[in-house]
Amino acid sequence: MISTIHLLNVLLPIFYFITFLIYLYDFQKEDKTLSNSKRLFLFITLCVHLLYIILRTIAFDHMPITNVFEIFTLLAFSISFSYFILELVTDIRGTGMFIIILSIAFQTVSSFFIKDLFFVREELRNNLLGTHVFSALLGYAGITISAVYGFLFLMLYNQLKQNKFGILFDRLPNLEILEKLCFYSAVIGFILLTIAIVIGVIWLPQSNLNFSYTDPKLLGTLAIWIIYGIGIVRKIYGNLKGRKLVIVSIIGFILAISSTIISNFLAKSFHSFY
Amino acid sequence: MDLIGISLNHRTASVELRESLSLSNSEIVELISTLKQSLLKEGLVISTCNRTEIIGVASSQNVSFDDLINALLNFKKVDGINSESFEKYKSVKIIEHLFRLVAGIDSMLIGDNQIFKQVKDAFQIADEQNFIGFYFKKIMNYSLHLGKRVITETAISEGAVTVSFAAVQLIEKIFSNLSKKSALVIGTGETGEIAAKHLRDRGVARLALTNRTFEKAERLAKELNTAVFPFDNFKDHLHKFDIIVSATGSQDFILSKSDIEKTIKKRNYESLVIVDIAVPRDVDPDCRNIENVFYNDIDSLNIIVEQNLLKRRNEIPKVEKIISEELNNFSDWLNSLQVSPIIKALRDKFESIRAEEVQNNINRFSSEDKEKLEIITKKIINKILHHPTVELKKFVNDNSNQDLNRMKLSVIQELFGINTIKEQEKN
Repeated sequence: MISTIHLLNVLLPIFYFITFLIYLYDFQKEDKTLSNSKRLFLFITLCVHLLYIILRTIAFDHMPITNVFEIFTLLAFSISFSYFILELVTDIRGTGMFIIILSIAFQTVSSFFIKDLFFVREELRNNLLGTHVFSALLGYAGITISAVYGFLFLMLYNQLKQNKFGILFDRLPNLEILEKLCFYSAVIGFILLTIAIVIGVIWLPQSNLNFSYTDPKLLGTLAIWIIYGIGIVRKIYGNLKGRKLVIVSIIGFILAISSTIISNFLAKSFHSFY
Repeated sequence: MDLIGISLNHRTASVELRESLSLSNSEIVELISTLKQSLLKEGLVISTCNRTEIIGVASSQNVSFDDLINALLNFKKVDGINSESFEKYKSVKIIEHLFRLVAGIDSMLIGDNQIFKQVKDAFQIADEQNFIGFYFKKIMNYSLHLGKRVITETAISEGAVTVSFAAVQLIEKIFSNLSKKSALVIGTGETGEIAAKHLRDRGVARLALTNRTFEKAERLAKELNTAVFPFDNFKDHLHKFDIIVSATGSQDFILSKSDIEKTIKKRNYESLVIVDIAVPRDVDPDCRNIENVFYNDIDSLNIIVEQNLLKRRNEIPKVEKIISEELNNFSDWLNSLQVSPIIKALRDKFESIRAEEVQNNINRFSSEDKEKLEIITKKIINKILHHPTVELKKFVNDNSNQDLNRMKLSVIQELFGINTIKEQEKN
């Protein structure tokens, strides 16, 4: 089983890269024969990734949530999985390459540095922790996708303003759809992040002796949560729309990334598990 | 089968000439009955704003291009048009021309998919007049199949190639659902009228018009069932619209940057699309710098049109490949028409000889040998005919030298005294 895990660990970035290439080729050529096969290939990649996660969980007797590189592989999966669901629901197929590239980045880093951890701290095996981490990861996947759509919105917006009618004009969905995708992904991300925060605040003080309300990760997440919360409320009341809305989403995403880097690599935090 | 056809089109004739020979549906019906009398056994008459075409199977070998041209000119009672204004096609070249037509690459506007529908309608009229016979039924099937393949397998008809459609394409890149948007058309001249009709056809929820001459706007508004604003105070209503199309003959700007700034503020910065198709321009182009205002003039729309035309031109090789494939399929079918009946007739002839000889000599054999005789003689006939059958079937797929193949077939028919093709046509 361990050798299979090692093989899948090498194969996964390759699978994501091939999926990305198919989406890229389709984006450039808009080949009608590829429109279904690219979705099928993404599905196969996700199945392989799910198998990898399950095998890791069984082989090492813990969910792959105990260090940043395990979390990166889950994040790569969550991002592509969320996009896959979004593509199925909306049938908007032209934006996959912009999302999958993030999964490539996270999975590649994970594949390079991930270790076979047979022994982890007991509290990291807890089911509530699993729920906390999974909802946080799916929440981050939501705000990542929201930021990607926000970024695409800005690119198309600028092209339209400058009367440039290139490949983005041809292939991307219209501005209203991009804004909606950006907003709804942010709402889903916000809800999941709320669940993660609630579980974390209720359960972590009891289970973790090092818990602190001034933990950088906790403060960072709270700041992100507040930004998205204000953004969503203002959008609902019609005070925030178009370019300004997507800028808020992108700022939230940059803060989320910064918070992760600071809490995991720079600051001393109970969220750093290794 | 003698296929013959003439085509008056945008390459061969001026618009006046094309107009003078254009046919309505009822005229096509009348012309078909004239053609059926002495010129064509079956065929098709196509008439659009850019072309009038007659193609069909000649009633006799004496039917010439001039006969078809004269039939058309006499029918339309038009003088002074010589035969050089027509393209002339014979044999399989007609099918190639028809396929190019259906595929939209023979049109003035490359990839025009209207022509596919028009040819379909022409086939339907011909069918209703019993002008579609054995050959044209097959030609119709091949043409319609080709038309569908071109639409699904290529992008020859995709993208806007007129300024007004380009404007719609642009608007649809900003708004997802026009049925929830409102539009104002300023100026109800020819361009404004076309723009208003396009917007209404695309399902814009609320359309309004304004024009310096109020009565003119009112007339068009009545026709399109839309609202109309007096030109003097239309600026007071600008904020109510998501799309503004301006096409007046004014020499100066009718909407300044500050007008648009006031409008977008009143709209709470909801996106506003301004399409300025007037020359000289009606709206100050500086307004493109205002947030959530998307300003486009005729030049930017022309960029879209040019890009789309280029993309369509790049699709032509794909379309030509499909045409070539379908032409090969059609030629195979045509060849099989000649070969299959000959194979059958040849086998029937040999079988009747065998059966007759067996019958004449059957009493010379014992009862247990009679059955063996049947089997052995049938085997002999099959072995004799195996090689000729294989060789004949090769003719179906061999388009390299059709004249030679035709000659070989007629030699076989002569040698064995079989004649089948005319019977097939009768069927």
